[in-house]
Amino acid sequence: MSSGRGNTYPVIVLAIFIALEFAGGALLSRSSTLQDIWFNRMSHRVMGALWGGTETIRNHFNLQKQNDQLREENFRLSEELRALKDAGEMLTEEAELVKGSGSRFTYIPATVVKLSKNSSHNYIILNKGRADGIKPNSGIISSLGVVGVVSAVDEHFSYGLTLMNSKISVSARVGRTGIVAPLVWDGVHTDRAYLSDLPLHYEIPEKDTVRTSGFSSIFPPDIPIGVTGLSNMMNGSTNRTEVFLFQNFSALRYVTVVNNPVRDEITSLEKKDEEGHR
Amino acid sequence: MKKPGFTILFLLLMILQVLLMQFFTFSRFVMVSFLPVMILCIPIEKGTIFSMIVAFVTGLAVDFLGDGMLGLTSISLVPVALCRLGIIRLVFGQEVLVRRENVSRRKQGIPKMLLASLLSCSIFILVYVLADAAGTRPFWLNAVKILCSILVSTIVSFFVADLLTSEEKWR
Repeated sequence: MSSGRGNTYPVIVLAIFIALEFAGGALLSRSSTLQDIWFNRMSHRVMGALWGGTETIRNHFNLQKQNDQLREENFRLSEELRALKDAGEMLTEEAELVKGSGSRFTYIPATVVKLSKNSSHNYIILNKGRADGIKPNSGIISSLGVVGVVSAVDEHFSYGLTLMNSKISVSARVGRTGIVAPLVWDGVHTDRAYLSDLPLHYEIPEKDTVRTSGFSSIFPPDIPIGVTGLSNMMNGSTNRTEVFLFQNFSALRYVTVVNNPVRDEITSLEKKDEEGHR
Repeated sequence: MKKPGFTILFLLLMILQVLLMQFFTFSRFVMVSFLPVMILCIPIEKGTIFSMIVAFVTGLAVDFLGDGMLGLTSISLVPVALCRLGIIRLVFGQEVLVRRENVSRRKQGIPKMLLASLLSCSIFILVYVLADAAGTRPFWLNAVKILCSILVSTIVSFFVADLLTSEEKWR
């Protein structure tokens, strides 16, 4: 029947149907309080479901914005936490009459632009550069631990080497007060590195947390890296301990660049010392 | 004796429905209504919009004359008018719609006429009972009332449809 009357005919029929039902409903709700309450309850349910559904869809499309807001919030809170930690450390140092603390690191949030994972020299590119205050040899960390080290800096981008790079070595400590040893990538796994040059007599317990030692001028101390695994002897002279990294490089998106403002001072001091020995 | 035309017959049956609802209430579990089949029997060439308007006005008139809740019969009868062509297509086939021929027991047979009556009565009674209860009656009471009413109304509607679609009056 409707095929001959074009595509608008069903719409008109539906519109008239809805109008008549509304008119009937309005008359009914005016003539009976019970039906009036029922219609109101039904309309509230429909409106609730409709607005609830709309809100869910809107929230879905706002996820990116909310994610960015959460990142900002997370960064702000991390910075506050670090400031409190630094303040605590400074107070301890002052109590021990040790002046001139070198733990005043600055932190810059950044987003990962590119991350390589499939070669033996993996790298990372960040969306912040010299203009944002990033310098070469700054550390890159995330909420899960150490990510890498900034290698070169452009005006608006930074290039860094990740922990999954055989050229990178991080000074790490086992436990809070344990032995300090260089940590290097095992070159195979995406979630594993190893602590090398460990003395044979020193026994490393399994599942102990490995953190940055703070001995290098790149990373502040106590940044988590991973947990220890099995140990084995290397070349008959040293031990090597497996470390399971906390950082999942596949899911990395937001990082923080750690800058040490007094690094130049430390480096020049080291150079002077080297020249003195010659 | 000359048979009355469709409109007059329609109006007479509408008054009969008012009287039935007003004075012949058999049980609280059963309501008898042949209004849906009256809408179903409106000539096919009249279209859905026309039948919806007729259904709305008929419902209002029945509620007004029968001292019922104004609008209740209308909101139950308009969906029947909306589904009318769909029921005809489903039960009697597309051919009836294409030819625009009026349905009748003699042409389509008793089972098809009964099925069409059943479908139209089901739509009407379902909406009517639920809107009348307004969420205050228990489910089982509504279910019993719907089932009993559909059964009785379908049987009554079959005879009303036969009366409305008798071909002799069109000669």
